[in-house]
Amino acid sequence: MDYFAGIDVGALSTDAVILTAGSEVAAYSIVETGANSTDAAEEALAGVLAEAEIVRSQIKRIVATGYGRVSVPFADKRVTEISCHALGAYHLFPDTGTVIDIGGQDSKVIQVGEGGKVLNFTMNDKCAAGTGRFLEVMANKLQVALDEMGELSLRAGREVPISSVCTVFAESEVVSLVAQNHPTEEIIRGLHRSIVNRVWNMVKAVGVNGGVAMTGGVAKNRGVVALMEEKLGQSVHLHEEPQVVGALGAALLAWRASQSAG
Amino acid sequence: MTQFYGPSRKRYIRQQKQTHGRHPFGVFPAHYPREILWAMNVLPVEIWDPPLEVSHANAHLQPYICSVVKLGLELILQGQCDDLDGFLFPHTCDSIQNLASIVYDYLDIKKPCYFFYHPKAPYRSSSRQYYLEQLQTLASRLEKQLGPLDLSELKQRVQQGERLAYVLRELYTLRARGELCASNTEFYRVIRQGEYLHPDDFLPILEGFLADRKGQADRLCPIILSGILPNPQEILHLLDNLEARVAEDDLLNCSRRLLQPPVAREDPFEALAENYFAMPPCTTKDSPLMERVGFLLQKAAHTDARGVIFCMVKFCEPEFFDLPQMVEELKEKGLASLVVDSELNQGLSGQLATRVEAFLEMIR
Repeated sequence: MDYFAGIDVGALSTDAVILTAGSEVAAYSIVETGANSTDAAEEALAGVLAEAEIVRSQIKRIVATGYGRVSVPFADKRVTEISCHALGAYHLFPDTGTVIDIGGQDSKVIQVGEGGKVLNFTMNDKCAAGTGRFLEVMANKLQVALDEMGELSLRAGREVPISSVCTVFAESEVVSLVAQNHPTEEIIRGLHRSIVNRVWNMVKAVGVNGGVAMTGGVAKNRGVVALMEEKLGQSVHLHEEPQVVGALGAALLAWRASQSAG
Repeated sequence: MTQFYGPSRKRYIRQQKQTHGRHPFGVFPAHYPREILWAMNVLPVEIWDPPLEVSHANAHLQPYICSVVKLGLELILQGQCDDLDGFLFPHTCDSIQNLASIVYDYLDIKKPCYFFYHPKAPYRSSSRQYYLEQLQTLASRLEKQLGPLDLSELKQRVQQGERLAYVLRELYTLRARGELCASNTEFYRVIRQGEYLHPDDFLPILEGFLADRKGQADRLCPIILSGILPNPQEILHLLDNLEARVAEDDLLNCSRRLLQPPVAREDPFEALAENYFAMPPCTTKDSPLMERVGFLLQKAAHTDARGVIFCMVKFCEPEFFDLPQMVEELKEKGLASLVVDSELNQGLSGQLATRVEAFLEMIR
């Protein structure tokens, strides 16, 4: 049986997805990217092959995406994560018209059309504000685990406003708030609000159309998702592992290419 | 391949001085009567994006000044203009106007500085007269330094400028039709030599390039570049790698200065005025937005281009003033666009490259 793989080499994590010949997800894996994108891609692929209990020769086609896509020597094709997130989200949630992808080093808002085609997009690619890196820096400063931030913020009775958008200045602001004994939960909620406000400007630029899917690692943070839903006035589509949506889109492109090649 | 490239700027400037006794002038962007300079044995050397790191210029300019101006001033402050015999500052925008004042009034550079004012749209009946007067004024100021202007020489240079424009238009036409076998990188490298080569040297290069590269090119995704200049330069190489062809451009340093087929005029000043007013719409001439939109749509229609990439130089006021409305208008008319906004010499970051690549995936 033939399989198809997508590998998304992101700033923080490298994700791999394997699809069956019927475009069903057979397995996925997530590893840390670390210092070497090629090694991370190899590791993610090895992991997903083990998970799917297949061998590499059974993979008919591989599409790489993410910032490290150029460092995946065994990929048959390289496609940007913008196209892949759009397709992946559309495949999972066919009413998706807008994708909000908040990744480790950038965030994107993508307008999606029929068949998962990108109609428009915008990216925050000039600084760490509104990205996973922003949260990582703040988690470190507040001495909480990154994956605990969501739950902590949901417990906050109120939020402390964070006025700085810049990661460096926000970090200083957090230091001051800690010194003033503000509860950690309230500071975190304020930080989440800051991210959402930042991304919201991009959402407004692209426009909300139909269902909204959130992808990327930050979509695992329930606190950010809740604030985004509040802002949108509607619930968002979430995959159980939102950072694999890009790899899924890449795998779908691999599958589609083989379909069109006959 | 190499026959289409002249010597480096520095070497060429020295060579021109020694061999032809030409006076090299540093010329800031963008619109100026090159023909008058040529006729007075001046070699205009345009200053757009010298490959420098800005350090000294920051002491004279606010942080929100564009890098064309910053780099130009840096070039002067680093003493890299010693071979030049003068400067010409066209009144392109407020920043260049201020630069002219800094250089002329405060720097004490001991080189003659000339200023050239050209009418901005909307043009009135007096605009033409005003332009003619500015041409005469510039010529008479130059005469004080360089001796009398020979009108028959000016006439000849006007014709040479028109011949240059003819060959350039041919190159643009062939490229638009997919009948020019040249990469994006090569095309702009060749034509941008016109920023410093004398027409006597530039024209044969262009003619050779045209003759050599005429032919059916590979079918690549056609796009349009708009803005001040192809920046970051690496974008051209990226577009080559992504199999996209710049089928047309609306760049200030390239086609926005391209002369249209001439109307015969006996008087060379009249001919220059005719050429100026017939040039394509441009932000630095305050052309109406809808004229620019129409111009881009027309370019898209005849090349089948599905998208426009705006190569913006950060803090370029004339370009940014129109940009949001331009993007909206084009979107409404079904033409996608991408804004690439960076400083000069900043290079192409991975993220910027991803945006360009995603844009091409979107429009293909």
